[in-house]
Amino acid sequence: MKPIETRLARLARKGDQRAFAEIVDLYKDKLFHLAYRMMNNRQEAEDVVQESFLRVYKHLDRYDENQKFSTWIYRIATNLCIDRLRKRRPVYSLDAESSDHEGLDGYAMLPSDDRTPESELLLSETQRIIHEAIETLPVKYKSVMVLRYLQDMSLQEISDVLDMPVTTVKTRVHRGREFLRKKLEHKL
Amino acid sequence: MKCSDAARLMHDYLDQELPRDQCKLLQLHLRECPQCEARFRALERTDALVHAMPAVSVPDDLASRIMKSLPKSHKPKAWTGWVQRHPAASAAAFFLVVMLSSFVAMWNQDDQLKLSGDVEHVVVRGHTVIIPAGQTVKGNLTIENGEAQVLGEVEGNLTVIDGNVTLASTAHIAGKVKTVDRALDWVWYKVTSWFDTVAYGS
Repeated sequence: MKPIETRLARLARKGDQRAFAEIVDLYKDKLFHLAYRMMNNRQEAEDVVQESFLRVYKHLDRYDENQKFSTWIYRIATNLCIDRLRKRRPVYSLDAESSDHEGLDGYAMLPSDDRTPESELLLSETQRIIHEAIETLPVKYKSVMVLRYLQDMSLQEISDVLDMPVTTVKTRVHRGREFLRKKLEHKL
Repeated sequence: MKCSDAARLMHDYLDQELPRDQCKLLQLHLRECPQCEARFRALERTDALVHAMPAVSVPDDLASRIMKSLPKSHKPKAWTGWVQRHPAASAAAFFLVVMLSSFVAMWNQDDQLKLSGDVEHVVVRGHTVIIPAGQTVKGNLTIENGEAQVLGEVEGNLTVIDGNVTLASTAHIAGKVKTVDRALDWVWYKVTSWFDTVAYGS
């Protein structure tokens, strides 16, 4: 018996809207969470989630049932986030230091999402500091760290989602962790 | 153990991938090296703090907005999908269907008895066309899907398709008698008669 998502995907592919609505229910929170951590902006996160589901819907017939549905949907959403973050680069890189150095680059200069009261009210001081530290991670570490820590994925799963060797994922987790440690050391 | 090696082991430990024996080695090193000990504590703390980040609240109407953003006319695409994946096979199948259906249609069309030419002097009984004794068919006579029983005279050609001809002793046919039985002959006959029509008019 195939996992529930695979069966839902099969039904949705045949035009069953209710099956697709169930897929949306299963994944919308996870994807929103992922996109919000990546983009650090609620509106953009919502755009990413919508676009992800739109792509999933349009390309259901390309879904290979041999791989996990979650891997496929996470790959779509993660790639959308990474694309958007890369497109942001030219706007902010003028003031940024050479961007391949570990540490601050263009992303750090981005305004955070201050329209939503949530980030002001709900986060404790500690949480806000961590949130900001994650926000300053360079994009290639950020995607790995968000999948690892906020989506609880194993190194193998991350390697499947990002389509890169496990050893690369591992190196990025290690560097990302060191990066955060250095960021947080003096603040907490 | 060098401190750089210890750092690698710390991360492996936090990835939950450090074998037991190496764990022991790391432990020994941390007891001896306060710097690494501090680093390990900081990493462990970072790990726990990041892990404990609460989930953000998801907009209530997100699901309905997603569903609304989908293209409306999503019909089952299995068929068109197959066509897209196998263009050559689809073209071949389409061609075959068209050819077969037109052939069958042409064939079925002539299931019934059909007469053409001078039909005033013949008698039809079921699938048998009789040219009675003493009668004269003036010109050609063509019979499709029927038998011809000739007792009288035919001044032109007699053509019988998918049937046969019985000639009585009194019969007299001035032109040629032609019977067409097989499909190939039938097609050939259709083609030549079509050319006749084009060339001379019916």
